[in-house]
Amino acid sequence: MTGKKGAAMGKDQMLALYRTMLLIRRTEEQLVKLYAAGKIYGGVHTYIGEEAVATGVCAHLGTSDTVFSTHRGHGHALSKGIPPRELIAELLGRATGCAAGRGGSMHLFKPEIGFMGSSGIVGPSITLAAGSAYAAKLRKTGQVSVAFFGDGATNNGAFHEGINMATAWGLPVLFVCENNMYATEIPYAAVTKNPHPATRASAYGLPGIAVDGNDVLAVYQAAGEAVRRARSGEGPTLLECRTYRTRAHSEGMRDAGYRTQEEIAEWKARDPIKAYEGKLLAGGTAAQSELDAIDAEVRARAEEAAAFALASPMPEPATVTEHVYSEMQEGRNA
Amino acid sequence: MREMTFVDAAREGLAEEMARDPAIFVVGEGIGARGGNFNTTLGLFDLYGPERLRDTPISERGFTGICIGAAASGARPVVDFMFIDFLTDAFGDMFNQMSKLQWMSGGRLKMPIVVRGCVGVAPSNAAHHSGNYYPFFMHIPGFRVVMPSTPGDAKGLLKTSIRSDDPVLFLEHKNLLALKGPVPDGEHLVPFGKAAVAREGKDVTVVGVAFMVKKALEAAETLAKDGISVEVIDPRTLAPLDIDTILSSVRTTGRLLVVDEDFAPCGVASEIAMQVMERGFDDLDAPVKRLNGLSCPAPYSPALMTNLIPTTSTIVQALRDLLAE
Amino acid sequence: MAFEVVMPRLGWNMEQGAVVGWRKKDGDSVTAGEILFEVESDKAVQEVEALESGLLRIPPQSPPLGTQVPVGTLLAWLVKPGEDMPSSDAAALAVAPAAAGMAPAAKTSGSASSLPAAPSAGAHAAETPHPPTGKRIRISPRARRAASQLGVDWTLLSGSGSSGRILERDVQQAAAAGTGAPATAARAVRAHEAVTAAGTPSLDVLPISSVRRLTAERMSAGAHTTAPVTLTTEADATDLVRLRSQLKGEGARPAPSYNDLLTKLAADALVDHPELNARFEGDSIVQSASVNVAIAVDTERGLLAPVVRDVQSKSLRQVARETADLIERARGGRIRPEELRGGTFTITNLGMYEIDAFTPIINLPECAILGVGRIVAKQVVTDAEAGTVAIRHMVVLSLTFDHRLVDGAPAARFLQRIKRNIEMPYLWLAGS
Repeated sequence: MTGKKGAAMGKDQMLALYRTMLLIRRTEEQLVKLYAAGKIYGGVHTYIGEEAVATGVCAHLGTSDTVFSTHRGHGHALSKGIPPRELIAELLGRATGCAAGRGGSMHLFKPEIGFMGSSGIVGPSITLAAGSAYAAKLRKTGQVSVAFFGDGATNNGAFHEGINMATAWGLPVLFVCENNMYATEIPYAAVTKNPHPATRASAYGLPGIAVDGNDVLAVYQAAGEAVRRARSGEGPTLLECRTYRTRAHSEGMRDAGYRTQEEIAEWKARDPIKAYEGKLLAGGTAAQSELDAIDAEVRARAEEAAAFALASPMPEPATVTEHVYSEMQEGRNA
Repeated sequence: MREMTFVDAAREGLAEEMARDPAIFVVGEGIGARGGNFNTTLGLFDLYGPERLRDTPISERGFTGICIGAAASGARPVVDFMFIDFLTDAFGDMFNQMSKLQWMSGGRLKMPIVVRGCVGVAPSNAAHHSGNYYPFFMHIPGFRVVMPSTPGDAKGLLKTSIRSDDPVLFLEHKNLLALKGPVPDGEHLVPFGKAAVAREGKDVTVVGVAFMVKKALEAAETLAKDGISVEVIDPRTLAPLDIDTILSSVRTTGRLLVVDEDFAPCGVASEIAMQVMERGFDDLDAPVKRLNGLSCPAPYSPALMTNLIPTTSTIVQALRDLLAE
Repeated sequence: MAFEVVMPRLGWNMEQGAVVGWRKKDGDSVTAGEILFEVESDKAVQEVEALESGLLRIPPQSPPLGTQVPVGTLLAWLVKPGEDMPSSDAAALAVAPAAAGMAPAAKTSGSASSLPAAPSAGAHAAETPHPPTGKRIRISPRARRAASQLGVDWTLLSGSGSSGRILERDVQQAAAAGTGAPATAARAVRAHEAVTAAGTPSLDVLPISSVRRLTAERMSAGAHTTAPVTLTTEADATDLVRLRSQLKGEGARPAPSYNDLLTKLAADALVDHPELNARFEGDSIVQSASVNVAIAVDTERGLLAPVVRDVQSKSLRQVARETADLIERARGGRIRPEELRGGTFTITNLGMYEIDAFTPIINLPECAILGVGRIVAKQVVTDAEAGTVAIRHMVVLSLTFDHRLVDGAPAARFLQRIKRNIEMPYLWLAGS
């Protein structure tokens, strides 16, 4: 199960990757429908097309390992173990959401299983994950931390400062750059003379690996190696996953002008789930019927999650000011 | 009881806490082997090593962000920012992450972080080494703002700050660092939200912020010669603010002056005055008065510094004016 | 700025004169040097020229032609085009009904301390703290609270605060001076000494207390602003006397006094004569639904009139209890300012001084006041035809009413009703 290319993985492990990618896909499809039906209040940035990245990375993480995510974080959340019910309920602003309605799509939280928050601000996931790794190292817990971020974040100061310090101090952290070539609608290549994030690693002295982000096995192998390095005290890795989002930046936005239909079609043809399906079938790991059964199960789960969320209550208005301060020092501030 | 300087007392508090809890670590520029630009960590590197006394590059946003992540993940970091003017690069992450993670996670993430360092106007420190900025942190929900004015309080409040699960701004006025004062022996903790009556009086109340407490006490001494009895209150923590002690004083005196070297608009004085108006209106015999620094960045030339911030004599005059109101 | 045209001194000895003709009309343009009007003094008729140019404005209160007025009296204005004539004399405002009952902040020369203040005397204390000139009195919240607690009428004080604001210490000083009035006595002594020292025959020069000052102003306002008419009648109070002694003998304390009985029976009458239970408020006449009876009480400090509210809905015994308490506290200097306000009718009784009839002055802003004389046993004719007489207890009632608000006949009918109520107590005892 370690990073050697082509090393044997068990069938269960391989199907687990498939299941996770499908879970992300089918849950996101529910959210797309709900958004179109006007049931979601804020912005929704779906992970459709990028499923292989979160799946391949999080497969190596335990409950106590920490993940810091982005505005496009549903895939990270589901891969880390947030149930679809809690994700959908959160976007519907319900009390049963993983952040009890406080956060919506961009502020998902489930620290109990190491999901330390997605953020509406680009960049802090890098420094926060480095900080989490610092705590792990200090306290000798053996945990690793993962920062997910996009190509846009590579130009933010947090990238520079966070990766520099994490490398200087040998922190157990993995920096995963999901390079989908556009920061919102700005092409990466238009705002930097070096649009290859993995190559920036040498500036800080840590390894930089670039993989095909739509190949879940490639992601899985590279991530596995990076996690091993981190856990064994060898320090951080910068992992660039080249991928693509086939939908607009966020639901409801126009998806035209900054990219061509041909480009989208090209990447749709490289759909990570379809590609992996092909591999599983070709390699004889699973039969079509098995894969269909998994899909059916996952679809049902996603549908049930949507129904659960729609039937869930709203949070109590009076609770909104709770938890501004810790219990220990509760009291009026002014 | 021992006589110690403000900075030594604070450091003693930090040392005691670091001995007590291995999850505490300090991060900042020059706070490792060098012991800190202001001797805030002198001697601790030899005891606890580089992982707990972590020297950083000049990356205030980055290392503050790292400490936020560490605090959310079970450690108890102390960010030693040296001058608050440098910390401004980190304000974005402080407002968006540090103050909000507890609330966003519904209390599941704690934020036991202390952000400590120097504030205040000092002679010829000029525009980039004279910052105050604490009203920002008083204003935003989630922060605690601690500003001791005596060595004893510096130690007691730093210890409480480190033990708090909330993010704390522990702000030390640079003109107080060398101030000597009594520090109790043994375990000494000062709670948040409890002002100190630095001097009792019955004719007029003065609330001073940090270094201004000392100036107000000098002014009170001057006025005592004219038979005027001035009560001086040191809030010690601005958030939470002990408004009850201030209200109780105003109930006696009927007149209140707030002295704060920081700029007037939206400052500490305006908050205190509003709260006194809300809850003590009928006790007022005159409008609440404030004395602030001039609304401009700190200059360099001593001539330009002449009227920049309140002095003992301008406080005396303000009190006389208030009594004549 | 408007130029005053006044009665000129046309001769060395001239002290007054009369305008006997205007050469220009109100609104005419006048050039300096033109003849403006003619004056008759004790000598002859003389022409007077205009000393300025402008538009002539003759105000309504300009002396009518032929009226002798002192030299210097304002006759007219010369204004610039578009300029307004200055407004009417401020003095007139001082006794206007809306402002009645208010006293300006006492002015003292120089010293910060003010006159000893006492609870509002005479009629109503100030409803709002606006003296006649319309200037606002400033007082700190703390001082206002102290004034309320100490029973000080702060509208009578001048403030030692920088903006003229009344401060707590001003109120405290006033209260300290007021109780036991040491300051008054002290001042009186000093004034006495000062006059003696000056070598003139020593007189008792007493400074005016705030109560006296306020009473003076109220009475003046009541006498001169209203159109007072006093009606008198004599009522047979024999049954009332009997009722009173029965109640007294029956033992419940406090026993209703004559004033209590009069208060109740007057309220009963006022319910059916609401036009007498009215007051001026600004430009309107407001009839009150409650009958709040003020009772004039003579105290050491002067005349006070505490108010019993809603008499119409209280029993006689309740009224008796209340008046007993109010009078005791008024005499003891512990009456509260609000207890001296809000009356709609006043009763004043001089019977204990053997007075029969008198002309009470209206307690502004009320509409009427009932003066009660002594109850005297008299021989009266019970049947003129038969020539029978009897000894009856008779009392004279003097009702002064404001003819601006009420005409004679309704006032007389009201007084008749009062007389009826005195003569037949059972009429109002039963209630409605």
